[in-house]
Amino acid sequence: MRFLLTSLLLMLCISCTSYPKRNHFNPTVTSRVSILNPYFSDTAQDYIYRANIKAFDKNFSGIFIVKKLGIEHHRIAFTTELGNKIFDFTFEGDKFKVNHIVKELDKKLLINVLRNDFEVLVKENPLLEKTFVYKKDTVYQTTILGKNHFHFCRQKQLYKITHIKRGKHKVEFLFSEINDDLANYIEINHRNLRLSIRLKSI
Amino acid sequence: MRSLIPLFLLLTAFVSAQTKMNTSEADALKVKVRAQAEATETILSDFVQYKHLDFLSNDIISTGKLAFKTPDKVKWEYVTPFLYTVIFKNETLYINDSGNKSAMDIGSNKIFKQLNQLITASISGDLFDAEAFTVSYFKKEKKSEAHFEPTDPEFREYIKSFQIIFNSKGEVAEVKMVEPSDDYTLIIFSNRTTNQPLSDAVFAH
Repeated sequence: MRFLLTSLLLMLCISCTSYPKRNHFNPTVTSRVSILNPYFSDTAQDYIYRANIKAFDKNFSGIFIVKKLGIEHHRIAFTTELGNKIFDFTFEGDKFKVNHIVKELDKKLLINVLRNDFEVLVKENPLLEKTFVYKKDTVYQTTILGKNHFHFCRQKQLYKITHIKRGKHKVEFLFSEINDDLANYIEINHRNLRLSIRLKSI
Repeated sequence: MRSLIPLFLLLTAFVSAQTKMNTSEADALKVKVRAQAEATETILSDFVQYKHLDFLSNDIISTGKLAFKTPDKVKWEYVTPFLYTVIFKNETLYINDSGNKSAMDIGSNKIFKQLNQLITASISGDLFDAEAFTVSYFKKEKKSEAHFEPTDPEFREYIKSFQIIFNSKGEVAEVKMVEPSDDYTLIIFSNRTTNQPLSDAVFAH
C-alpha cells in the first residue's frame, strides 16, 4: 500500500513537472529568429507536394498544395492525382474558411484536426512564450490557436514542431531534406489519433 | 440601362453564332464520332495534364500514357513528376502508387468513374444520348467541342462541366473537367495510335 501511494505521488510529481523541465531544457534569453518557420513563406512560390495520408485504416494519396497569398494568408488544397479537389481551405490571420470539401470528409471533427495541423504547418511567427537550449538545439515554446507547441531548431534551421498537451506529445511535425527554405520532406504524426501525413515535394 | 439590353442580346447572339453549332453540324459531329468509335478497338496515347487552380502562379503539370481497349478497359499511367497508375476495368478502380497497390475508396472515386465512363462513352459514341448530361456543341477552328453539364444535383457539386474537344477526324484530342469554382483539369492527348494489338496484360494490376 505504501509502495502504491509512493508511486502515485511520484507519478503525480512527474506529470506536474513541466515538459521543458522534465526534458532538461535550459531556459535562455529569448532571441527571436527573423522567421521561425520559413517553409511556406514565399508568395512567389507554388508549394506542391505528393501526399500520402494514413487516416485510421485507410490510405489516401494525392497532391497537397500550399500558396502564400499575403501576410498571414495561405490557401491550402488537396487534390487527387487525376485532379479532383478533395478540400480547399483559406487561412487568413485568425480566420479560417472551408472553400470546398467533399461531402464524405465534411465532418467538423476532421476539419478541426486539419485546421490545427495546417495552421501549425504554415505559421511563420507564432506567439513566442519562452526559449530554451537543449543539447545542440534551440527550443522555442510557442502558442498556436491557444495550444502549446515547441519549435526545435538546429543550426538556426527548424526541423521539428511538437504539440504538447498536459505534458504529453499529441502531434509531431518533422521537416527534412531542407534547402533554401524549402522542406522537401514533411511528416505530420498524431500520437492520439491514427492519423499521419507524409509530404514529398514535386 | 434599358438601351443596353438589346445591345447585350445582340452581342450574345453574335458570340453564340460564332461558336455554337447548329443542329445539322452537331448531328454531323455525332455521326463522325460514332463512325470513329466503331472503327476503334484500341488506343494508345501520351497525355499532358494541367491542373489549374486560380490561386496558383502556375498550373500543376503531369504527364503520362493512356491505354484503352474496347469495351471498357482504361489505364491512366502517370510517369512524371511521380509514378502512379489507375486502371478502370470490370467497373473497378485499381491503383498502383509507385508499387503500392490498392483500390481507391474516397468520395471522388465516383467522379473518376463518371469521368472515365464519359471518355469511354465518347469513344464508343453513345455518349450523346446520355440523360445524365445536358450537351451543347461548339466549333473552334478545325476542332469541335462537346460540353456536358451534369443534370444530377449531387454530381453538379463536384463538376460544372466536362468538355471534350475532338480533332477534325472525330478523335478525342482534349478533355477539360471544370469544377464549380471554375478551377479545372485539362488533359491534352498526343502521339495517338489506334488499333495496335493490346494484350490484357497491359491492364493487369
